[in-house]
Amino acid sequence: MPVDKLQMSRRGFLGLGAAAGVITLTACGTSSGGSSAGPLVMTVWGGDPDRKTYQARIDLLVKKYPDLKVKLQLIPNDSYPQKVQTMIAGGSGPDIMQVAESVNTYSSKNQLLPLDDLAKAAKLDTEQRFGPVGSLYSYEDKLYAIPDRSGAVTVFYNKDLFDKKGIKAPTADWTWDDALDAFKELTVPGKQWGYSGAEWWPQWWSLAYQNGGTIIDESGRPAVDSDEVVEALQWAGDLVFKHKVVPSKADYADMGPDIGGDQAFPNQKIATHANGFWVMSGLTDAKFAWDIAPMWRGEKQAVSAFGSGLAISRTSKQRDNAFKAIDFLTSPEAQQQIIASGQDVPANLEVQKSQAFLKPSWMKTDVDMGVFAESSAFVFRAPFIPEWNEMIDTISNGLADFWLGKERSAKKALTAVQKDLEALIKSGS
Amino acid sequence: MATTTAPTPPPEAPAATKSPTAPKKPKLSKRRRREALSFYLFVSPWVIGFLVFLLGPMIASIYYSLTDWDSFTPPQWVGFQNYVTLLTDDPVFWKALWNTLFYAAVSVPLGLVLGLWLANLLNKQVRARKLLRTLIYLPTLIPLVATAMIFRMVLAPSGPLNDFLGLFGVSGPNWLYDGPWVKPALILMSTWGAGAATVLLLAAMKGIPRELYEAAEVDGASAMRQFWSITLPHLTPIIFFNLIMGLIGAFQVFSQVYILVSKGKNPAGYDAAQTMVPFLFDQAFSYYHMGYASAISWLLFLVILVFTVIAFRTTRRWVFYETEVK
Repeated sequence: MPVDKLQMSRRGFLGLGAAAGVITLTACGTSSGGSSAGPLVMTVWGGDPDRKTYQARIDLLVKKYPDLKVKLQLIPNDSYPQKVQTMIAGGSGPDIMQVAESVNTYSSKNQLLPLDDLAKAAKLDTEQRFGPVGSLYSYEDKLYAIPDRSGAVTVFYNKDLFDKKGIKAPTADWTWDDALDAFKELTVPGKQWGYSGAEWWPQWWSLAYQNGGTIIDESGRPAVDSDEVVEALQWAGDLVFKHKVVPSKADYADMGPDIGGDQAFPNQKIATHANGFWVMSGLTDAKFAWDIAPMWRGEKQAVSAFGSGLAISRTSKQRDNAFKAIDFLTSPEAQQQIIASGQDVPANLEVQKSQAFLKPSWMKTDVDMGVFAESSAFVFRAPFIPEWNEMIDTISNGLADFWLGKERSAKKALTAVQKDLEALIKSGS
Repeated sequence: MATTTAPTPPPEAPAATKSPTAPKKPKLSKRRRREALSFYLFVSPWVIGFLVFLLGPMIASIYYSLTDWDSFTPPQWVGFQNYVTLLTDDPVFWKALWNTLFYAAVSVPLGLVLGLWLANLLNKQVRARKLLRTLIYLPTLIPLVATAMIFRMVLAPSGPLNDFLGLFGVSGPNWLYDGPWVKPALILMSTWGAGAATVLLLAAMKGIPRELYEAAEVDGASAMRQFWSITLPHLTPIIFFNLIMGLIGAFQVFSQVYILVSKGKNPAGYDAAQTMVPFLFDQAFSYYHMGYASAISWLLFLVILVFTVIAFRTTRRWVFYETEVK
């Protein structure tokens, strides 16, 4: 019934559906704010395995503090920002909310609660608990989220293919030249490639930071046209089009729909792949030997990390309880669940170094899990600016032709991107 | 719809007009009133739904389109700034508008011609007619995500379509990544849904009186002549309906773009094919420019309105309603 009605009215009003769609979502949110006695609402993104892990951690929390109640809302990745935006705009934002790179979209708009005082009251020392990642979610000297999951990019490599060619395993001391030499050895034209490529920002930014570059400089201005960044991108692009040791877009498209490095590596199409922890979930049934290594180095060591933190929205009526929950959820006891289920890398350093992490029960092969703790020492701090989403889109649009091989000069591509970014990021803070 | 209740009480209607006396009226209208009440009762879900979920938000969106609003903090009044920026200082808007017009201008006529052709074929006395009808309608029932997956395989650089083109010595483009070929790829995918129009046209064809064809045959009209002079004029109302629906649908195309050339995995393709609603969606839900997005939606509304009005204005010239024949 309602569906029919909607269609009728849309037809009748000549496509106002578009306008209405935007507005309905924002206008219908004047319901009452979260009640003070009800359960804490916690929003997270992900799929079913994520739900199980979060729920297991919440169960531990409720066991320890029986007076706390937490309602877990799992939202699919794609619609998470929209859903949370709508909740906040409607005045009933989640009490506990998972945030990541776009954290400062919310904090800059005064939607998150600064957590410094609550952390101090709870005697939570983020530096001690999480290392350098502890202050990752700070904005203008205030802490807005407590790290929850955090794993560096690591190099997955196919041991069998490496052994066959007599190449030594990758190490943190590999230089760009060492890497390129190995990739060349491992490439069989048209059939197998040495490396999966660095098109995604966490991958090529790692190279840029290794080369001494930054995406946003210390004064808050974009700096993607610097020589360091240009050189790094050029190197990454040359891997595809000059040395042909990385599959091109066309090569990937021919492997099947939605195939990228995460799928091509388990299929032995590529010999090395630098990406996040989740690649392991595709490797549980791998028919070949594989391991992980820290990211190689350029001028210096640098690598991206994937992670997320837990924040409290400003509309929350139960700040103290929400923080109590976050404090516990990021404690070793609860964080152990994250690795026990194979979901992700827990941000808590103590857990990263524990036996439970280094030898997870579900791991069938011998994988050097210590790489994650090792890498966390040289994770660079990505610029989580309030305009994060627009910045990422601007960069990926601006580099689209570069990654297609239509524009071979990284200098030209990045000069154009720099101009767009300068228009986008006006205020240097 | 509700006005069709008029013929049901024929005896009362004349009675009411005949009798001038006042007391009789309320007695008669008691039933009327009950009827009116149930009319309003039945129609109320729609009216309330319309007012609350459509008209209210629409009016609100006019206001928001005149503000700078990130959806979190209170809106800031900026007058026509959003519209001015869109029209004078946002190349993406013009690109998205051009892409949308291109898509609509090609996919809608193409869908109609294809639908008409298929319907005409299916109307013939061929073997396995019912099976063919099912097969032609079937694609419209496949969820869009699955369709997009199929098309990504079909349109792969070394996929079946390019293999087929290779038979003729044509080396096909990298459809979904090569800028100018992304829109044709989207249009190709839109023709996948031609079955929906086919069914409507076929039903209309069945409704054309046989006598007309018999008379034409007696007069010695060829099959071609019969199609142009009998079939097509009778189908114009359905073609018109499909044209309007197709135009509105094409201007609002969203999921096709968002799924076939997803922004995250294929920025080049997305950039080349970005249409108005994906542009609007990004501004509203990815960049938090809700006021700006509202302005886009109103401009899109105007564009659709203009084209629909044009289509309606031309109906006198080419749409033939049998009931209007004098």
